Amino acid sequence: MSIIDQCPSTAENSKSPEKRRASKADLAQRDRVLNTTGGVGGAKVWRSADEYADTREFRDFVEREFPSGASELLESSRRGFLQVMGASLALAGAATMPGCRQPDHKILPYSKEVPEEIVPGKPLFYATSTTIPGGGAEGLLIETHEGRPTKVEGNPLHSVNRGKSSIWAQSSVLDLYDPDRPGDPVFNNPVRGKVSASWDDFRQWANDTFAKFDSTQGAGLAIVAQKKSSPSREFIRGEMLTRWPKMTWVSYDAVDSDAERAGVIAAFGEQVRQVLSLDKAKVVLSLDRDFLNGSTSGEPHALVNARNFAATRRVTGKDDPMSRFYMVESAFSITGAQADHRMRLAPSQIPAFAVMLAKELLNGVTGNAAGLLEAVRAVTVPAGNGIDAKFVSVCAEDLRQAKSGAVVLAGPTQPAAVHALCHAINAALGNVGTVVKFIPASREESADSSAQLKDLAQNLAANQIDTLVCLNCNPVYNAPPDLFGTGGFAAAYAKVKNTVSYNLGLTETGDASTWALNATHDLESWGDTQGADDGIAPIQPMIAPLFDGSLSDLELLTLIISDNRADAKPDGYQIVRTAWKALLGEKDFDKNWRRSLQDGVVPGTARDGDKAEVNFASVAKQMPGLSAFIAGAKVPTKDALDVVFRVGHLGDGRFSNNAWLQELPDTGTRNVWDNPAVVSPQTAKAMGIEPESDTAKFPEGVVVTLAVNGRSIEIPVWILPGIADNTVLLTVGYGRRVAGRVGDGVGFDVFPLRNAGQRMAQGATLAKTSRGFPVSSTQNHWWLEGRTALVRAVDRPAFQKFADETVEAEHEIYGRHKETLNFAERLGELAHTPPNVSAYENPYNLGKVGPDKANLDAAGKPPAYSTGQQWGMTIDLSTCTGCNACTIACQAENNIPVVGKKEVAKGREMTWIRVDRYFTGDDLDNPGDMLHQPVACVHCENAPCEVVCPVNATIHGPEGINYMTYNRCIGTRYCANNCPYKVRRFNFFDYGVTKFNGDYYGRDIVEKVSPERGGVTGSNVHNKLNVNLIPPRLRQKLDEISRMQKNPNVTVRSRGVMEKCSYCIQRINAARIECKVNDLRDSQGNPVIPDAFLQTACQQACPSESIVFGDILNLTSAVSKLRNGTRSYALLGFLNTRPRTSYLVRVRNPNPALVDEARKHAWENPFHHGAEHEGAEHGGAEHGKAETPHALVTPRARRDGESSLSLRVLSSPVGAPISGGIGHGAHA
Amino acid sequence: MTTIHPDQITAERLAGLSRGPVTATPAPGTGDGSLIDDPAIRAPLVLNNRSFKEVTDIICGYTENPPPRWWFPVFGVVATLAGLQTVFILYLIITGIGVWGLNNQVDWAWDITNFVFWIGIGHAGTLISAILCLLKQKWRTAVNRSAEAMTIFAVICAATFPGIHVGRQWMAWFLAPIPNSNAIWPNFRSPLLWDVFAISTYGTVSFLFWYMGMIPDLATLRDRAHQRMLKSADGPKLLPFVPIRVDAIRAFAYGLLSVGWRASSRHWHRYEAAYLVLAGISTPLVLSVHSIVSFDFATSIVPGWHTTIFPPYFVAGAIFGGFAMVLLLLIPARELYPNMKDFITLRHLENMAKIILTTGMIVGFAYSMEFFIAWYGGNKYELYAFQNRAFGPYWWAYWTMISCNVLSPQVFWTRWARTSPLAIFIVSIFVTIGMWFERFVIIVTSLHRAYLPGEWGMFHPTLVDVMIFVGSFGVFLTLFLIFLRVLPVFAMAELKAVLPQASPHEHGHGQDHGQDHRRGDDHGHDKAHGHEHSKGGKH
Repeated sequence: MSIIDQCPSTAENSKSPEKRRASKADLAQRDRVLNTTGGVGGAKVWRSADEYADTREFRDFVEREFPSGASELLESSRRGFLQVMGASLALAGAATMPGCRQPDHKILPYSKEVPEEIVPGKPLFYATSTTIPGGGAEGLLIETHEGRPTKVEGNPLHSVNRGKSSIWAQSSVLDLYDPDRPGDPVFNNPVRGKVSASWDDFRQWANDTFAKFDSTQGAGLAIVAQKKSSPSREFIRGEMLTRWPKMTWVSYDAVDSDAERAGVIAAFGEQVRQVLSLDKAKVVLSLDRDFLNGSTSGEPHALVNARNFAATRRVTGKDDPMSRFYMVESAFSITGAQADHRMRLAPSQIPAFAVMLAKELLNGVTGNAAGLLEAVRAVTVPAGNGIDAKFVSVCAEDLRQAKSGAVVLAGPTQPAAVHALCHAINAALGNVGTVVKFIPASREESADSSAQLKDLAQNLAANQIDTLVCLNCNPVYNAPPDLFGTGGFAAAYAKVKNTVSYNLGLTETGDASTWALNATHDLESWGDTQGADDGIAPIQPMIAPLFDGSLSDLELLTLIISDNRADAKPDGYQIVRTAWKALLGEKDFDKNWRRSLQDGVVPGTARDGDKAEVNFASVAKQMPGLSAFIAGAKVPTKDALDVVFRVGHLGDGRFSNNAWLQELPDTGTRNVWDNPAVVSPQTAKAMGIEPESDTAKFPEGVVVTLAVNGRSIEIPVWILPGIADNTVLLTVGYGRRVAGRVGDGVGFDVFPLRNAGQRMAQGATLAKTSRGFPVSSTQNHWWLEGRTALVRAVDRPAFQKFADETVEAEHEIYGRHKETLNFAERLGELAHTPPNVSAYENPYNLGKVGPDKANLDAAGKPPAYSTGQQWGMTIDLSTCTGCNACTIACQAENNIPVVGKKEVAKGREMTWIRVDRYFTGDDLDNPGDMLHQPVACVHCENAPCEVVCPVNATIHGPEGINYMTYNRCIGTRYCANNCPYKVRRFNFFDYGVTKFNGDYYGRDIVEKVSPERGGVTGSNVHNKLNVNLIPPRLRQKLDEISRMQKNPNVTVRSRGVMEKCSYCIQRINAARIECKVNDLRDSQGNPVIPDAFLQTACQQACPSESIVFGDILNLTSAVSKLRNGTRSYALLGFLNTRPRTSYLVRVRNPNPALVDEARKHAWENPFHHGAEHEGAEHGGAEHGKAETPHALVTPRARRDGESSLSLRVLSSPVGAPISGGIGHGAHA
Repeated sequence: MTTIHPDQITAERLAGLSRGPVTATPAPGTGDGSLIDDPAIRAPLVLNNRSFKEVTDIICGYTENPPPRWWFPVFGVVATLAGLQTVFILYLIITGIGVWGLNNQVDWAWDITNFVFWIGIGHAGTLISAILCLLKQKWRTAVNRSAEAMTIFAVICAATFPGIHVGRQWMAWFLAPIPNSNAIWPNFRSPLLWDVFAISTYGTVSFLFWYMGMIPDLATLRDRAHQRMLKSADGPKLLPFVPIRVDAIRAFAYGLLSVGWRASSRHWHRYEAAYLVLAGISTPLVLSVHSIVSFDFATSIVPGWHTTIFPPYFVAGAIFGGFAMVLLLLIPARELYPNMKDFITLRHLENMAKIILTTGMIVGFAYSMEFFIAWYGGNKYELYAFQNRAFGPYWWAYWTMISCNVLSPQVFWTRWARTSPLAIFIVSIFVTIGMWFERFVIIVTSLHRAYLPGEWGMFHPTLVDVMIFVGSFGVFLTLFLIFLRVLPVFAMAELKAVLPQASPHEHGHGQDHGQDHRRGDDHGHDKAHGHEHSKGGKH
């Protein structure tokens, strides 16, 4: 520290002048002493000739510290000082005028009491959990930076997650920082209207309101609470009911499936929960059950199912066992996309399928089940329902063969009898206890939401409810209208004297309530959850509530039953501890408590499940009802359509204001920001409601009036190949009216159509209107255009036959040596790539020799990418379901902005990892497969983007990662043009920094685009000011609260720069530091990051573990084993880009009994490449010949080993039916 | 006069005092300067038998006299367009590239289309001045100045687009190889960087060539202004209340620009040498610039771009489009400016029409070769790219290109079309449209459906796209109108050299070439004469 005080103001009153002068002298003295004695061995140490000479000038110079003039102020007079200060202040004032002002910086220094565990800049991870829609819970691990949660991961110790996480868990952190979260309670004053109030006001009001229920024993009080499996809440509920036994408690779930519950009762006589161990399954049949996808079916065990099911689908060698999966479904779900055999069937016809199957499968059973067989036989299945009898019998035979390894699952659209029948079939197959297990269902889960609502409705109608509390739910928006008479729930709600809504974000219910209380987020509060396997996990706060004073749901309930509500300060921490003490016992409680907070789970609470006895007689009793159902369920026609209600990414609407989820493409349609009614292409064509072509600027769906259950809505129509004809797929959760700036008015509310507990309805009619509605989609193109080598898929018999066979390429490929082609590579272009020997030696080709360091070049350097750690990734197309978890995990990790509906329509979505979706086959209505392929930057060793960047902004790192230097990028976009994978994303606007138009939904296009079709032209309701006209630096920046979510280790990109997947370089570097600090070295003594030490964000989230990342030079790493395996191929590898991400061929396991001869023929020669010329219709009769479609080049082609000029890069590997070959789109 | 030439008549002609010899028969052939069937008879390069003085008076008159009545309104319109371009460019820079219709599938569209379009147009000028100069094509003298001016203005228009198309325009200087402490250099492997060098070189050399060629004529303008000042004490003032005479300003400005030109023999000698050197330097540049621009596409791996045919194909296309633009400018100019038809005759138009026909067929050949190779090469991605061009969503752009570029020039097989300024004008419009669409087709249709069908998209232009492009025409025409107003539109000195009287030995028989030729044989003549003569008489 300088002895000379540079600040005159402090100099004046700090030390006496004498003292200061003395210290100056001291300094000079000390310097001299140092100079003469401080050297090594007493020798004089000097830095310059001046110093050596030790002149007076030099001493002065040293003493002054700063050059002459710098400290002159000290000598100046008081008057002079004031003059200078005055001038400085004036200048400073000028500098703070708008336009030349430095931005204000706020810092939060750890100036005192730095928590011991916090190293600034280093994230901490805490375990917690959260409930998910559809029941159950997920255990989470939260990354926090200086006390600020930024990223959600799955808790590796949690039995449901095992480190993985759903899109809902991933995106929950955005809900925490939702800028529209109300910061204060709002009181609807009967006189003054809505006023902002405080929690203290509420306390006062609560004291006045709830005290009276002591005398009524709770009569007149109703609490409608979102279903939530939380032991603590259950504990408080018990306390409330003890105190106020006449209180009404409704366990509310907007999208409940009553049928599933009734089926369980019918089969088992009690409420039990089915738990699947699909890893033990050999043959699976699903009847409209999307068991792999929590986010479209409300499947609480989806993560577990995805993990276990993938385990049976992942084959590395030819002898690996593999399950077979049959799917009968109305929609085309991601689960259906995994099917080996899939039948599309209207939901009302699936019961008939179940009965046909049961007849075959139960044939020959004895004992209790024989009675059921009789009952099943009595059910008549009308002919002409479109069910392929061969499919049924083959499937039944396969299931029977697999015995206890077989499982039949029924989905939420199916009536209770089908569920019961499936339970009976499973019991008859003997899989209970192996694949299927049961655990007792919790009270909350088994509560019949519809029945309780019905009771509530009666009470409301009778004006028996004085005070109604809606806890974390939004019934005004999503309560079934059929229970509440005219006006629905909203009208009944409005009549209640006191209404309280407690919700995280803005809700319609809050808007209609006396009190709209602002809830805390799970990341801000204490609580607990109970997973679908009964595993208990704590919820602990990562951050103090962002809005002071708000209470958690547990605290609110405690407040309501407090004696002195006005002063009650309920403490969530104590509430949970109290509840847990009752649950877990007092013994070693504190130790267990700390342990469970540390681990995020309470050990020993997760259950494996037990057997449960099926009451066949009871199931048999269901059969007459089922018979009646089947008789009544006519095959849907275009005048009487089937309707399926499914949950979308927004759940029951609770995630409406979450922009990540709004912009996450829907499975199949890849629609964003909307929920059009989805029908099959044939249905759309028959009714004349086909959407506009995909080449339109803003493709429009035709708006139709859809009527069912006696009510109707208007909604646009979109098409999806592969869904059942005359079936309308509706997604709930959209069309919120009061949700916030993101969710307001996005999509169409389909709840008005739905009856309580209903997941499927019949007899819908659809009337075309003259209007259109723009629908955005990230991918409008359906087909692979015959480019089957991009997403390689092969049938298991062919894989088994050829998996171990490798061939030498006929030519040296790209340079110096011949390649050995594995099975996967033989399926694609590389086997046919002509010799491509450059006149110049490509230095990157040397790297192909691998880690052989003996192979030094002339300069004595090892070949490129043959030393150190070389990062690579594999993506398994066999197990990838296309669930989008990777996309949203990447978005959260890498600060990827949301661009809005309009920008997506223009093709400007920013996601670094996208999931491409293709259909195969030549029938748009009944495609063969839905293939998913996640594509992110593949980090080419020979990257086309790097060569063309004129400013060296994208370059290659020594570890094989393609770096993107945002600072250097000027945005020529040449790299994106030259990227064959099209994975580069350009910031066309300041997406990451400013609020974009304040309107993500693009209401201007929605309302303006088709005025002649009824749109509102020039609406300025939503676009008061075009933000484009405001210079970027004056635009409204992101709220401070939104910025808090950003990962501090990843740059927030400005407009005008390119960005793309970085292989999570920030994680690699963090791991590198960690490993260096711990001095981890490999056998040669080089610093090393061990395999599996780090995961990329997408890999960490992937529920089916399809993404593997690591060091490809380390031959023991998981990634190198997969990469060197027989299923690995490089996407577009024939371009010699040398991608670091390789894909693993998808292996299907079809039943030979259901496969036609052409396909079987292809098993003999999967490398046949004439398929796209012959097409499926020729049935491969000309296999083995007609290799050259071009007679002109035949002689030459033969000479070149039929590879040079007859190169057919777009071959179909398995003779899979390919639509029209290349150019299909042009002719279509 | 006798000092100039011993022969009195010749001396007068050389001094510009008398016209060329008037023969008994009028100008052969059509009389309008168009080519005629008899190869022995050559149409004159300048009509109406102008004397040197008349040539000087006419050409200097374009800048010295008040502009024609149409000039100001037209200038007003095009300058407004130019101003609008500035406004929209500012809007673009302030707001972001997103105001264009680009997206993550089609990252280049109108920006680079316009860039290549304008750069292509810039080729005709230098081709006329350099290559035709080296090939001793005398007819070039009438059009080279304006064509060169057009080149420079086109390069200015072209250079705008790479500058503004980047995402962070304020960082575009990263393209320059500026030494810095981090030792970060531009990527010399990137064709975009080659573009920067190629275009700046081309622009510089073209400008030097143009400017240097103008120096003698600028000196003429200077001297004339100076003479007028000396002759009378008053003349038009800059503004009524400003006591500065326009001629004084002219004399000063042209004096500055003519850098002390005194037309001494030594000056002329140096001038000729320098002109030849610049012509030699420019000639490879004509070929290299558009080759390098084509490398932007050819070196990539995008199907539809990755083609070795691109360099010659682009050069031919550039010449094709460039000549069309020259004609688009000169045909109205010669109609609207007095006496301009004497210098830009039908022969010039016909020659250029022939070049358009030739290069149009080269371009058409290239289109067909692309398809052939796409099929013959056996790469399906490549084949699809071309099928998609012709039959995909942008089929209309492709067929516009084909009809404009391949079909419309075919009318030039007929003499009628070649000698009809209106027909040539209309075809030139088509060619200009077609060449713009050629670049659009190459860029957008290749990008919008590349390798992975999952990432296919469409490009739809926005108002900003359109206005910046239209505005670039405003800039171009504004500059050209200013050029017409203030600079010598024809190379006077060179033009005089192709007048018959410039050959002192052609006594009174300037038009009768055949006879002249025979006479030349009788006389025998020195090398210079023979050279001059063969130019005049060679068919």
